[in-house]
Amino acid sequence: MKILKYIIAAAALLFISYHSVYFEKLSDVRRAESGDNTDMEAYTRDFWENKLPLSMDKAIDIKDLVTRVKADPEETFAAYAHALGIGDLQYFMVKGEGQTTMIADNQVELLILGRDGNFKLRIETELVYGNSVRDASGLLNMNAFKNTSEFNEVSAGLNKIIRKEILPPFRKEVKEGDVVRFIGAVELNRRFLKLDDLEVTPVQLEIVK
Amino acid sequence: MNLKLYKTYFIKFQSLIALFVICLLISLLSDKFLTVSNGWNVMRQISVNVCISVGMTLIVLTAGIDLSVGSVLALCGAITAGLLSDGIGIMPVDLYIGFTLLGAILVGLFCGTFIGGFNGWVITRFNVPPFVATLAMLTIARGLTLLYTEGHPISGLGENFAYIGTGWLLGVPVPVWISALVVVAAVIITNKTRLGRYIYAIGGNESASRLSGINIGRVKIIVYAIAGGLAAIGGLMVTSRLDSAQPNAGVSYELDSIAAVVIGGASLSGGKGTILGTVLGAIIIGVLNNGLVLLNVSPFWQQVVKGMVILLAVIIDKSNAKSR
Repeated sequence: MKILKYIIAAAALLFISYHSVYFEKLSDVRRAESGDNTDMEAYTRDFWENKLPLSMDKAIDIKDLVTRVKADPEETFAAYAHALGIGDLQYFMVKGEGQTTMIADNQVELLILGRDGNFKLRIETELVYGNSVRDASGLLNMNAFKNTSEFNEVSAGLNKIIRKEILPPFRKEVKEGDVVRFIGAVELNRRFLKLDDLEVTPVQLEIVK
Repeated sequence: MNLKLYKTYFIKFQSLIALFVICLLISLLSDKFLTVSNGWNVMRQISVNVCISVGMTLIVLTAGIDLSVGSVLALCGAITAGLLSDGIGIMPVDLYIGFTLLGAILVGLFCGTFIGGFNGWVITRFNVPPFVATLAMLTIARGLTLLYTEGHPISGLGENFAYIGTGWLLGVPVPVWISALVVVAAVIITNKTRLGRYIYAIGGNESASRLSGINIGRVKIIVYAIAGGLAAIGGLMVTSRLDSAQPNAGVSYELDSIAAVVIGGASLSGGKGTILGTVLGAIIIGVLNNGLVLLNVSPFWQQVVKGMVILLAVIIDKSNAKSR
């Protein structure tokens, strides 16, 4: 009777193990994974070069954004903001021009001559992370991707392009007093509006004088 | 005479009355509260806390406590997600061990149960106070989670896994089914089995239980192992719902589960409490959380209100115990 119990237990264990794990060659798996990554890199590059400019063309001027948000936040968010979920964090694609007042290791501060008063904002020049550019573009739908990991790879890819291609030449050239023209993404919290500490993740930077 | 009867009923159903009053107040202040979708939303949200709190109740009944459940939840979720998405690669022999959904879940559950059992073993073998032993495990498990995940979320776990946390079965969310099964099993264990009687006996009087021949160490190890396993189930649900294992998942979940146990009428000194009371406690906390969000109360104030409710529950319970 005891032996029968052991046989049943061993059979159950074997059955579960058989349906729990599988074995493959590690080199084959790695090869397949690198193939997938190449696809996503190509997708991100295509998005950066061919789709993001469509969103950049529709970017709202930062001065207009500040004025409109102050006057009618609900209307402005409805018209210009993009977000994936139902949360309070929303993203805008913005453009503008301002004078450099401070250059730090990880950001450049610009003075913007606003319609109802001047204000300052920060351009991120070192730590570019998160999903602000992807989400501010308003062009991507999460359901179009296989999973959230793949969807997040688009953000990681865009941030990498910004870090490698947009920021280094700008950081090298920019000096205090320079006038900088920019296009980028801004995150705003619908419930806790904070317009005196705007932070732009840039997708285009140009020193005009 | 009538007053005494009313008082008896009030004490017996105080958690239920509290839940009714909270629901009434929130529904008066927000028209979104008493809707079917919000009801399922609340049930889905409390499922994780119900699972953890059931394990915590068993521990509290033995006069113990487990502060590590939140970290164990995160670790088990991360291990399951890691195995599911990356498997295990063994370079020297060019071997990749892939895990099916069943395999990854079983390993996650085993890890939780093992860690819980280890907690119980440390507590009984070295006579370490449960508070200290599980506090140490809280840090260890969180550290292991951060090491395993390298501080990044593990995502892309597939639709089948997502079904555990987001799916529906017979018109009811899957997490609600899971927590209901856990509750039924725990009610049977506490009310109908020898283990249940031992748990109450140990919490009531440990010395007397030892003298009557109960293997205290073994019972405690089993109870902590069950709690660890239930934390792992919670971890699976959280990871599945988010479709990613977050390294900081489950932070302060232990406090919510202790709160549910206390509000549910269990005594932290052991021997007194019920699984259904804890479920009611978890529902009260869930409804309170949901209501405060619907009423746009700041997250900072939410914590203050939750703390005050727990304090009030303990004070009422103590004064009732005195009057009895």
